[in-house]
Amino acid sequence: MSDTSQISRLYWRVQTGRNRSLTGLFIVVAAFLILYAWLFPGLLSVTGFSKFSQNWVPMALVTMAQVLLMLTGGISLSIGPMVSLGAVIAATMSGGFGGAFTGLLAVLAAGGAVGAITGGIVAYARLPAIIVTLALSFIIGGVALLIMPRPGGFVPDWLSETLAGNWPVAFLLLALLVVGWKLYLATPLGLSLYAAGENPTGAFRSGVPVERVQIAAFTLSGALTALAGFFVAAQIGSGDPLIGTPFTLNSIAAAVLGGVGFLGGTGTMRGALCGSLLLSVIINVMFFLGFPPVAQYVAQGLIIVGAVAIPQLVAPLTRKRP
Amino acid sequence: MQDIVVELRDAHRGFFGNPVLKGVSISLRRGRIHALLGENGAGKSTLINLISGVLQPDSGALLIDGQVVRAFDPRAAAAAGIAVVQQELSLTNSLSVAENIGMGAFPRRRFGLIDYPELARRSAEVLALVGLDVAPATRLSDLPLGQRQMVEIAKALYRRPRVLILDEPTSSLSAHEVATLSTLMTRLRDEGLAILFISHRLGEVRKLCDQVTILKDGTVTADRPMQGLDANEMVRLMVGREAGQLFPPRPPIPPGQRERLSVQGFSAGRVRNVDLVATGGEIVGLGGLVGQGQEDFLLGLFGAIPATAAHARIGEGLGDSRPFRSVHEAVSAGLAYVPADRKHEGLVLAHSIAANLILPTLGELGHGGLRRPAAERARVADLTKRLSIQGDTGRAVRALSGGNQQKVALAKWLPREPGVLLLNDPTRGVDINTKREIYLILRAVADEGRLVLMSSSDTLELTELCDRVAVFREGQIARILSGDDITEEAIVAAAMSDPDGEKVA
Repeated sequence: MSDTSQISRLYWRVQTGRNRSLTGLFIVVAAFLILYAWLFPGLLSVTGFSKFSQNWVPMALVTMAQVLLMLTGGISLSIGPMVSLGAVIAATMSGGFGGAFTGLLAVLAAGGAVGAITGGIVAYARLPAIIVTLALSFIIGGVALLIMPRPGGFVPDWLSETLAGNWPVAFLLLALLVVGWKLYLATPLGLSLYAAGENPTGAFRSGVPVERVQIAAFTLSGALTALAGFFVAAQIGSGDPLIGTPFTLNSIAAAVLGGVGFLGGTGTMRGALCGSLLLSVIINVMFFLGFPPVAQYVAQGLIIVGAVAIPQLVAPLTRKRP
Repeated sequence: MQDIVVELRDAHRGFFGNPVLKGVSISLRRGRIHALLGENGAGKSTLINLISGVLQPDSGALLIDGQVVRAFDPRAAAAAGIAVVQQELSLTNSLSVAENIGMGAFPRRRFGLIDYPELARRSAEVLALVGLDVAPATRLSDLPLGQRQMVEIAKALYRRPRVLILDEPTSSLSAHEVATLSTLMTRLRDEGLAILFISHRLGEVRKLCDQVTILKDGTVTADRPMQGLDANEMVRLMVGREAGQLFPPRPPIPPGQRERLSVQGFSAGRVRNVDLVATGGEIVGLGGLVGQGQEDFLLGLFGAIPATAAHARIGEGLGDSRPFRSVHEAVSAGLAYVPADRKHEGLVLAHSIAANLILPTLGELGHGGLRRPAAERARVADLTKRLSIQGDTGRAVRALSGGNQQKVALAKWLPREPGVLLLNDPTRGVDINTKREIYLILRAVADEGRLVLMSSSDTLELTELCDRVAVFREGQIARILSGDDITEEAIVAAAMSDPDGEKVA
């Protein structure tokens, strides 16, 4: 039974196993991509692909940030303000000494530090993440407004050209982050996310440092969110203290579309990334079809409800009896 | 003595000023299976938590290899080679079996990554040890509960322990898995492990253990070799008084009892084509390996899952010869069902004991659509007296021990005087004293001329309590045993073998 091929392939078998129940989502995403490419053949050119992926990348980054927390059983309501804070810091710091690199470091440090503190409060004071991040969303939003009361600041042109120009640099950045996530998940700390989220007592008894796992997740999540802000600032060439607002709910929507559960430990990053891609494509497709913006919101809501309800309705039909 | 790996000396521990352990000593020795017995609430869990570093004693000492240890926590316990298999699983459903086994102690390679090939090799090793034939990459949620329990044991063995603590590992295992576990425990003992075994099944304990420590109300009432100790004596030491027989006597069923159940060609869920006739006054047990259709049979009779039959007369009325189509129909015809999962299906945990007790009869106690508190109070008082449920009935059911919860789940149906009482494994995880009380209640129900139909995973219960036993195998009744034919051997043989006598398991 335990032949060598099984042993050497454990990692890949586990990875393939994680695609389960995502097939439907993959098909829907592919269908929408094809529809979009048919409506807008420019998508298949390098420039078209670059522009499209630049719309998706900030959404993908905040989704990754949200999933990190949802896997621990938490949720973040401070994603939007954190994106704003990242954008504001980027637009303030990138003009001075060291230029964009100082800006990037400052953004990552701010995001990581805020995340680590939040994680510490949640892990050690045992407060629900939803409350802590709700409070934090006001504080961070206020700080962003203090730093930059109205849109302004500046991001060097070369940075905007690189990240938001005619080459798919943004997409490569995302690909790198996905590889980073895979590596993180292949470490004990990363994989423990699932155990700490689904069965914290059991994880603690197994010797998993549950608090450290949580704090690490919050820190990474904060850094990713702030990075999304940095990217947004590069995209528009300046900072804006309110630009992040829609990202909070969109990140939750994308995670839910991708099959990530609210109770912790269920769902996959690949699913959530597909969810964010789907949201992004749908918005683009509806834009091309000339839907008014209000209808787009309604359609987005219906799609989310449908995405969650349909698997629930189909599951009893396909479940094999034990 | 060098053989003693872990020793607890005169340990005291209380919670909120309420002493739970009052000077308990125990020593676990290499190459010995040590039984820890006691009723629920006697202090067993607290004792395990002290040894595994989850709690610290208020006074007293813990010695490992003869050295007093301080600042003992789960990590230190793991480092000292102490592994615990708790009743509540410590596993993660969304991960693979191998990842679960390694969780918290992964083998590593460069850059801090998990060494998956090594993990696969070592988890396949321990899976083979516990006799579990599943691929290491299988997702845990794909396994039935019994196999998850075996994964939990494999996870403990993966850590290569010197001391293995098993807290009621057999409560959700099938007979086959119990047999595998028994063999494994004996083997590990012979390899020099110190094993602490907690179980409510005295038969298993007597067969497997070399030494026994019995706790009662936080003190040790016995610490002696198992040899020469019989089940009655064990019960006396746990309960603290002469328990008499654990099981009530079986009076012969008086003639002229009315037929309460008659089904032919009954199918529901896993159950295929079952015939059964039973009269009032009987306790009929449903035995067999776990998940052979016993639960589906009960649920089908109760109208909770769709059922078909060539002929069916169940409970009162319904002369039209078909199974019930809804639970409502079944309840109207005088059926009651006590589920195995009392926490999710049998009780409203957050509500008070009183509210749970009157729930099934809320309608008849009321008047003109309004509740009548006086009648409700009287009923609650009556039931708590009959079932010896002590204390304030305004407390949430959640605060009760597992055994007392089960009594509430059972008691709430009694005022309806059900003609047919269906129970799904009513004593799983229940302490011995409560078990005895439940047996007395069931026998009393039968003596009133009603039918008790219960599935059970405890073979002793089937052989000693039931008047007849229907052994299920693959959705069918393999054999119906009655009278002196009800023996453990006969039940196991019928559960495991083909009709032509060949072993399949």
